[in-house]
Amino acid sequence: MATENRNPIAGDAYLAAEGLAFAYTPGEPVLRNLTVAVARGRLACVLGPNGCGKTTLLRMLVGLLVPSRGRVRLAGTPLEAYPPGSIARRVAYVPQETLAAVGFTALETVLMGRSPHTGALGFESSGDWHAAREALRRTDTERFAQRSLEDLSGGERQRVIIARALAQEPDVILLDEPTSFLDIRHQHGIYGLLRRLVTEEGKTVVAVSHDLSLAAAYADRLVLIDEGRVVAAGTPDEVIRPEVLSPVYETAVEVRTDEVTGRPYVLPRPPA
Amino acid sequence: MNTRPLTPRRYLRALAAWVLLLLAVSAAAVVLGAENIWAWDAWDKTRDVLTLRLYSVLTAAVVGAALALAGLAFQALLRNPLAEPYVLGVSGGAGLGVILSSLYLTAVAAPVFGFVGALVTVGVVYAVAQRRGRLEPYTLLLTGVIINAFYGAAIMLVTALASPERRGEIAYWMMGTISTFDPKWSLVAVVGGLALAAAVLFAFLAKGFNLVAVGEDTAGALGVPVNRLRLVTFVTASLVTGASVALAGPIGFVGLICPHLLRMALGPDHRRLVPAVACFGASLLVAADLATRLLEGIGGVAPPVGVLTAMAGGPFFIYLLRTRWRRKTEIR
Amino acid sequence: MQALAARPRIGDMKHSTLYTVLAAAMAAALAVGCQESAPPGGEDDFKPKGLRILSLTPNVTEILFSLGLGNSIVGRSTHCDFPKEARTIPAVGDTLHLNLERIVSLEPTVAFIITKRADVVRTIEGLGIRTVALESDTMAELMETIDVIGRETGRTAPAKTLREDIQHELREVRRLVEGRPRPKVLFAFPMTVGSPNMMVAGRGTFVDELLNVAGGENAFPETADWPTITPQRAIQLAPEVVIINAVGKDAAPDRLKAISQAWLNWKSIPAVANSRVYILQDEFLTIPGPTVGLAAERLARIIHRGGPRGIRPLRERNRP
Repeated sequence: MATENRNPIAGDAYLAAEGLAFAYTPGEPVLRNLTVAVARGRLACVLGPNGCGKTTLLRMLVGLLVPSRGRVRLAGTPLEAYPPGSIARRVAYVPQETLAAVGFTALETVLMGRSPHTGALGFESSGDWHAAREALRRTDTERFAQRSLEDLSGGERQRVIIARALAQEPDVILLDEPTSFLDIRHQHGIYGLLRRLVTEEGKTVVAVSHDLSLAAAYADRLVLIDEGRVVAAGTPDEVIRPEVLSPVYETAVEVRTDEVTGRPYVLPRPPA
Repeated sequence: MNTRPLTPRRYLRALAAWVLLLLAVSAAAVVLGAENIWAWDAWDKTRDVLTLRLYSVLTAAVVGAALALAGLAFQALLRNPLAEPYVLGVSGGAGLGVILSSLYLTAVAAPVFGFVGALVTVGVVYAVAQRRGRLEPYTLLLTGVIINAFYGAAIMLVTALASPERRGEIAYWMMGTISTFDPKWSLVAVVGGLALAAAVLFAFLAKGFNLVAVGEDTAGALGVPVNRLRLVTFVTASLVTGASVALAGPIGFVGLICPHLLRMALGPDHRRLVPAVACFGASLLVAADLATRLLEGIGGVAPPVGVLTAMAGGPFFIYLLRTRWRRKTEIR
Repeated sequence: MQALAARPRIGDMKHSTLYTVLAAAMAAALAVGCQESAPPGGEDDFKPKGLRILSLTPNVTEILFSLGLGNSIVGRSTHCDFPKEARTIPAVGDTLHLNLERIVSLEPTVAFIITKRADVVRTIEGLGIRTVALESDTMAELMETIDVIGRETGRTAPAKTLREDIQHELREVRRLVEGRPRPKVLFAFPMTVGSPNMMVAGRGTFVDELLNVAGGENAFPETADWPTITPQRAIQLAPEVVIINAVGKDAAPDRLKAISQAWLNWKSIPAVANSRVYILQDEFLTIPGPTVGLAAERLARIIHRGGPRGIRPLRERNRP
């Protein structure tokens, strides 16, 4: 893992952001010289206060935004060098979007994940359907296959969206706050799935999270962002510390260790 | 709802079925009418009437397909189920071109000026609505509505300044007209070519339409060039609409109702919708034109086809909406 | 602290000037407007108490001029533009929009109008003007109208002469075409942009009567005022002669060309196959007035053109 102080691009960096700068409106930069790299086969969580640029970073990593300075590399090659549409075969993105009530079923939604692999007219092969069904099975959503997405609960819907990402058969999965509206059971369900994807299938997963303890419980690496820059990066033990978190979140925190998992967790404290 | 993979064979089978429907409706429309073909005594009279009817059928098919496709495309582009081909002002531009031309320049070449008007409108709407080369649905819709209002006022002004005979002419043109006493096969061929090109293009964009409907970021991340898709869709749908209006006047309702009807039947997947909408839109307008001919036999006067589509289409659509809605709530 | 000097500010000055200009403009507009409704001409043209005619229909105006009453007409409708002298008479609008103030200011003693709209008649009567509503849908009604106008204006003798002249002309035309075959004639107004249909003269109309006098048979078989027919119907009717009367703006050259091109498509129509589609620009053909004889003669010459005996013109007129 790299911080902004060292040469950030280590040899095994699979997905790397180098010195990204970006502003939606001129004069109000969202990313300032942001540099971070993710090694292959890791679950990394991106943390930071509201408005620090987490979503913008994710959109840049998948190629939806072009930085005004700096670049993003995937497997060493800059994103601009990839032929159009080929990025989607390697990187899957689960955005934090409100659901548009269009009427697609869960299966149809997951099949959309196959679109980087299907041809121009969008014809599907049996292989595409097999991959879609596999993805539904892995996220435990097979029984919703013919149900309309609007009829599902938030947690079920989120699992279907992740299934769509899986159907892309990507190497990298980027998720923007995948559990923000879910209850505890579903939160741990989703992160458990992400964990399995990394350990059992060697995928690289980057998830933006606002829940520090949840991220600390599951991630291999944490990246803390503030005002468009990386302020801390490393293992959960390195990043989840009061002296690291308090200045960024501008509030007092207390960090304890979970005896069962050995991972740190965060307790907010009222300001002094 | 897709329960089986969309393979080329299934796609072609569905397409063939739709085309067959169109051919059947067209054949009926040519043969039937106020006086059915077999009532004619002399061959040359029959030939002339057949020519008239064939022209009507061809025009109706081409315009129906064009408008239905444009309606589908605009609904996808603007992410708005109320969108229809005239919402972005193109029909106003075409209308003003036709009206100004027939009043002050030449009545014969009026459709050409109508198409020019449509082209100008496309340029103006794009120039006003784009921000740094990007087209946002919301801005596009607002711009189009404003430009439409402007054209409406301009047409009213021109109408007010025109002589009384011309006013009647303008009013009649605004109701839409499929049949003519002076067939212009070349015009129909041009509009037909545009409609076919649009159909093919939208078939290739259908996958992108699906994804953009779900979400702009989702689509982009799945490899869809969203902004380019929007631009191409906007230009193509506007041109094909402008050509239709230049040829046959503003025929309403087809562009709005066909996509919705087919969405109810086939689901939201644009890959299935594009060929269906094109053929169904064509069949619908051909059938409406046939209905006007049959009504002529009853009442002596054929109502303009645009009147028929609006008056018959509205209540029928409401009926469909209510039965489907009721069905949906029962399942719950 | 220094008090602010009470200088007039630029803004104040601009406002008061603006108001003055506006007031002056309004006063000027009022003055001009008031002047408009004064009767035209000066005291010299004031007619003594006597016949002051308001003529609201073109053929009435023509009849009045034929009876020598041109100088007694003080007001006309905007469509009354024949003869040329009529154009100097003040216009008061048409049946749809009458300038009532102007009518009153002209002080007519009698108004003649040909309309079926009782409300228009009542409106003018409501101004205190004796209104005579006339009809001219048939030849008989035209004769009656001439008589009534003659009676109302004290010109019964000229009216009788006019009637007899017209009837003589019509008899002449009938004589000339006697014995000739009677082709099926369709008399139509041109199609308009945007509509495939055309208005044709049905049986029982004035034009239909003229066609009969001129030795033709109306191809449209039913009694109807001015029905609209579709192209299919036109093909089915199979007229042998087609007469299209393009008047006013319809007579633009590109439209005329479009009309002839359109008819040429349908070769199964005998008139098209034999090149007997005529496009005329004679407004007087459809006006039931003093020129009916000329109209009948014109139609006769067209319908029977190419016959063994040519038809010589009855007499010269300065009508185009």
